Amino acid sequence: MTFDEGQGYVVLATLLTPLVAMTLLVFVPGYQKTLVRWISLVAGAVMLGLSTYIFVAYQVESGGDFSPIQMQLRWDWVENTAFLGDNGIQLHLGVDGISATMALLTGVVAFAGTLASIKLDYRTKDFFILFWALVGGCFGTFFALDLFFFFFFYELAVVPLYLLIGIWGSTRKEYGAMKLTLMLVGGSVLIWIGIFAVFHEAGLGTFNLVALWEAGQNGALSPTFQKTFFPFFVIGCGVLAALWPFHTWSPDGHMSAPTAVSMVHAGVLMKLGAFGIIRLGIQLLPEGAEFWMPGLMVLGTIGAVYGSIAALTQRDFKLISGYSSVSHMGYVLMGLATMSAIGITGAVLQMFSHGVMTALVFLMIGAIYDQAHTRDLRDFGGITKVMPMWVVFYTIAGLANVGLPGLSGFTAEFHIFVGTFQTYPLFGGLAILAAAIAAAYMLRLFSMVFFGPTNPRWSSLHDLTPMERMSGALLLGAIVIMGVWWAPFVDRIGDTVELLPRVAS
Amino acid sequence: MVPMENYLALSGIIFSLGVYGVLARRNAVLVLMGIELMLNAVSLNFVTFAAYLDPDRVLGAIFAVFVITVAAAEVGLALAIVIRLYRVRQTANVDEANILKW
Amino acid sequence: MGAEQAWLLAAVPAGMFFVLALFGRYMPRGGDYLGVLAIGTSFVLFFFVLGDYLDFHNLGAGRTAITESIHWSEVGSFNLDFGTYVDPITVVMFGVVTTVALMVNIFSIGYMKGEPRYYWFFALLQLFAASMLMLVMADNLLLLLISWELVGVCSFLLIGFYWEKRSATEAAKKAFVTTRVGDVGLMIGIILLWREAGTFNIQEIIALAQNGGFGETYLFVALSFIFLGAMGKSAQVPFHVWLPDAMEGPTPVSALIHAATMVVAGVYLVARLLPAYEVADNTLLIITVVGLTTALLSGFIAIVQTDIKKVLAYSTVGQLGFMFVALGSGNVTAAMFHLMTHAFFKALLFLGSGSVIHATHHHQEMEDMGGLWRKMPITGTTFFIGSVALAGLPPLAGFWSKDEIFHAADEKWGIWAFLLLAFAAVITAFYTTRLFIRTFMGKPNNQEVYDHTHESNGFMTLPLIILAVLAIGSGFVIFRDVGEALGFPGGLSEFVFLHEPHEYEIDWGLAGTSLVIALLGVFLGAWYYWGGRLTRATRAAQFQPAIYDMLKNKFYFDDLYQWGINNVVLGFSFVTAWFDRYVVNDTGVDGSAQITGYTGSVLKYIQTGRVPNYAMAIAVGVVLLAVAGLAVRG
Repeated sequence: MTFDEGQGYVVLATLLTPLVAMTLLVFVPGYQKTLVRWISLVAGAVMLGLSTYIFVAYQVESGGDFSPIQMQLRWDWVENTAFLGDNGIQLHLGVDGISATMALLTGVVAFAGTLASIKLDYRTKDFFILFWALVGGCFGTFFALDLFFFFFFYELAVVPLYLLIGIWGSTRKEYGAMKLTLMLVGGSVLIWIGIFAVFHEAGLGTFNLVALWEAGQNGALSPTFQKTFFPFFVIGCGVLAALWPFHTWSPDGHMSAPTAVSMVHAGVLMKLGAFGIIRLGIQLLPEGAEFWMPGLMVLGTIGAVYGSIAALTQRDFKLISGYSSVSHMGYVLMGLATMSAIGITGAVLQMFSHGVMTALVFLMIGAIYDQAHTRDLRDFGGITKVMPMWVVFYTIAGLANVGLPGLSGFTAEFHIFVGTFQTYPLFGGLAILAAAIAAAYMLRLFSMVFFGPTNPRWSSLHDLTPMERMSGALLLGAIVIMGVWWAPFVDRIGDTVELLPRVAS
Repeated sequence: MVPMENYLALSGIIFSLGVYGVLARRNAVLVLMGIELMLNAVSLNFVTFAAYLDPDRVLGAIFAVFVITVAAAEVGLALAIVIRLYRVRQTANVDEANILKW
Repeated sequence: MGAEQAWLLAAVPAGMFFVLALFGRYMPRGGDYLGVLAIGTSFVLFFFVLGDYLDFHNLGAGRTAITESIHWSEVGSFNLDFGTYVDPITVVMFGVVTTVALMVNIFSIGYMKGEPRYYWFFALLQLFAASMLMLVMADNLLLLLISWELVGVCSFLLIGFYWEKRSATEAAKKAFVTTRVGDVGLMIGIILLWREAGTFNIQEIIALAQNGGFGETYLFVALSFIFLGAMGKSAQVPFHVWLPDAMEGPTPVSALIHAATMVVAGVYLVARLLPAYEVADNTLLIITVVGLTTALLSGFIAIVQTDIKKVLAYSTVGQLGFMFVALGSGNVTAAMFHLMTHAFFKALLFLGSGSVIHATHHHQEMEDMGGLWRKMPITGTTFFIGSVALAGLPPLAGFWSKDEIFHAADEKWGIWAFLLLAFAAVITAFYTTRLFIRTFMGKPNNQEVYDHTHESNGFMTLPLIILAVLAIGSGFVIFRDVGEALGFPGGLSEFVFLHEPHEYEIDWGLAGTSLVIALLGVFLGAWYYWGGRLTRATRAAQFQPAIYDMLKNKFYFDDLYQWGINNVVLGFSFVTAWFDRYVVNDTGVDGSAQITGYTGSVLKYIQTGRVPNYAMAIAVGVVLLAVAGLAVRG
């Protein structure tokens, strides 16, 4: 077993940890909440450790011999039967620079989410079973190099949301859960059609992504085919990535979801969609991508500006955050649409940055909503007096949102702006304008909630609990590290992105 | 010999009568009688073809035996259902067995 | 320790920020002495850098700058190197920032005593100093942008320091958002320059511009966008609205950030890039016009202000306008010179007003003052010195630097520019005199306030005295002999220059005119306000009420912006949010769901539940299939 194979087992372990935790929890009696919590904490910590290892151990380019896909593991699953040929369906796991970064994101946000939900009391066991299914799906999608398993884990990540939001959610949870699930599954249908089309057209009888990429680049997929089916992937994955105008599940979904679910959802799940566009769209159908990217640029810019402006007059914390997420995912899509190394690197940076940033914001919102039971901005004022640490965390998260240098938001946004300006200066200008509007809505939130005279109604609020503090500190650390020292991220992501087909350097 | 078409026509007529019985009768028992008619017409059809076109192996007759067997079993079951229906709804009128609807 | 280690000047306060932010509240006295220590270290290090640089500086050998840089990251062809660039402009800025920051830190020990969050104030002062120093030594535009935004955040946090007051929070928000709008321009400009130059390095961009590497229009557009950012940060019209509101912050903050350092970042930026601006020389006209407009407009508004800090705020806006006129006239020396002298005497004036505010227990309106000189001799005297400097009377620093600007404007643009500037200078002298007389002279307007007033303690008066000395003496560095005595070649104009070093010569005609202008303003001020009686002033105000109202309402800029925000921006937001909720969501998403549901509810009637219906359906189906099968076969 070579070193690479050995590390393949690390990847497998990272994927299995949530699934094993989930299975283990099934056998734990529901009333033993402490045991449930301990298992979850341990699982979360293990995942964080393993995903950090994957990120750190990923080899960056140093001299000629660089293979972007590392830490691979291949197990045959089903082959040579019915319509499948050799290597029909395989459990093929591996990471490249982009998925290593995403795995780190998942590990961080999942553990932060676990810490945040520790004090959940209602049906704790069921919650964590579904939560680990969700996280397992996320990891699986990032690691999968086989289309079948890609889709399998994609669905695994989406379906538990229905129960998680519908049972443990808040405002209009049934409506939010139903709308979210139906829209996302609707997108999945498009992806499924696309997958089968590619499978059929390539004629290799295999779902293996690496093989299909090579086939695509060798001309097995005609340009017409690519141009026809690229929209399927873009819209299908785009629904999950809050592509305008398929984004409306996001504000309502976030509003209804419980804290940890919002954290993982906005933090990781939405990035799954963008990741899908890269894996299935750009890598599989590069000519189709080239053709459709101007359209994606337009939609992405609309999303970025639209989300920013709409957030300006919202009164609910979570809606501001939800529209802000739409705006930031708009940036991601813009970055992808540039088809340049800088732009796509910026997009992936933004995926990570926004993931941790938004997880932190939702953590903070959850912390105050659990006590105040209202999310209306107008009810608050002068909260700094009673919850100073909460204000500090939220301020930093908010400033990261606005793109303040020194925090991850600036790193990501700047790469995207530079990339966009190279080819679409007008859209770049609009994106920068959206960032200015972000300052407006964020500072409005600050001034209405943190500052001003303290509303006496809240004098009994207590500050963050130790668990919330740890969770917040973890996320904050990620934000600051990426804001100041972004070379490790850019090296890993950049090396992989430069090798993507049809991407300008 | 009697022309084959005569027997086929007869079988067709009996089948039509049976269809009429199934579609147009209100009483469940009468619907079952219609079904029986249809089955027997089909048997007659099979035997006719067997006798005229396949006199050595008479495959059709074998089929007819199967049909009779299945018909017998099915009638037993159907009548049991009709009796149950009558016990529950106090009527054997098929029009009134309509609660499994929108 | 030499100029290569210039980054230490920023690193020391930055480190102290973290120490104070995390541990300050547990330290005795909130760690204020540590803050002074950190800034003091930077101040001392400045002299090392200065000495090292002066040894290095040798125009003849073509040595003009000391640089250091490290590689930060790269993606494809996008390489990022961050580093420092020390040249005469940097050296001057180092001196100004460290000196004023040190004075403000010391002053704050006295002024902020007993205030809540005392340690946090000092922490923020450190962060600000670090960011500002990083800004002036940045060798590339990206690092400059990063520092630019950081000083913006510090400003936000410091203006909103007294966050319990709604007005302070609103002012902080206004400052941040207004400068952010300007920053949009800055970012666009920087990226546009990068797009053609392939680098963010300032010197490389300037070299490319001078070699004609940019298209003419392209360079003009990019530099104009950058100027927008400078306008925002330096509160030029129409971005000036945030600076007066920023007076909500504690007065030391006003002195440091909104008079001497942060607001001059825009001036510094344009000065740095001036060689490129000269290539696209249409920009120079724009800069000059903006500067002149601002100088005049702010002067008019300052005449009717009654809050002493507001007068000084508008004065700052105007003086920044002067600096931009100097830059627009292509004279870096004049601009940097005025930047330096202005930093000293404006900081002096602000700290002086802080002393007054503190002594009168937070009264800021002139109607509560009068005759304070007798009660606060040190403050009064130093404030007098600052006022004389601001008004531009010789031999104080303000005279020499303003004179340079007159000279530059006259040379480049001709007499009309000079006249407009002169008019602005008269107004400056006028309102300065008005401020001083109404605050410190005559009879007290509020007896209760007067009785309780006493001179401030040593922490506050020491910086005042030091700054007063600088306000008197810093003007003389323009002269060759003074320069040589201090160690740098020639006077300031040989040290800081754009095209050619030149020796300073006094143009007696111009100097005389400047003197007359200043005296005219002072005389008018005295005429209207001497003796504490406001009768002449009130009569003048009633002369044309419409004009007076316009001035009092600051030319209605704030009202216009508020209308724009309420009706255009927020309108857009409401429309978008409405569109999203009712069109995209309710009609599009929920709508399509409802169509599906509706279709289902219509189709459900097929399930009649009646067996005969189903039987009929089977029969018909069979017939159809048979027909279809026969048709296909046939």
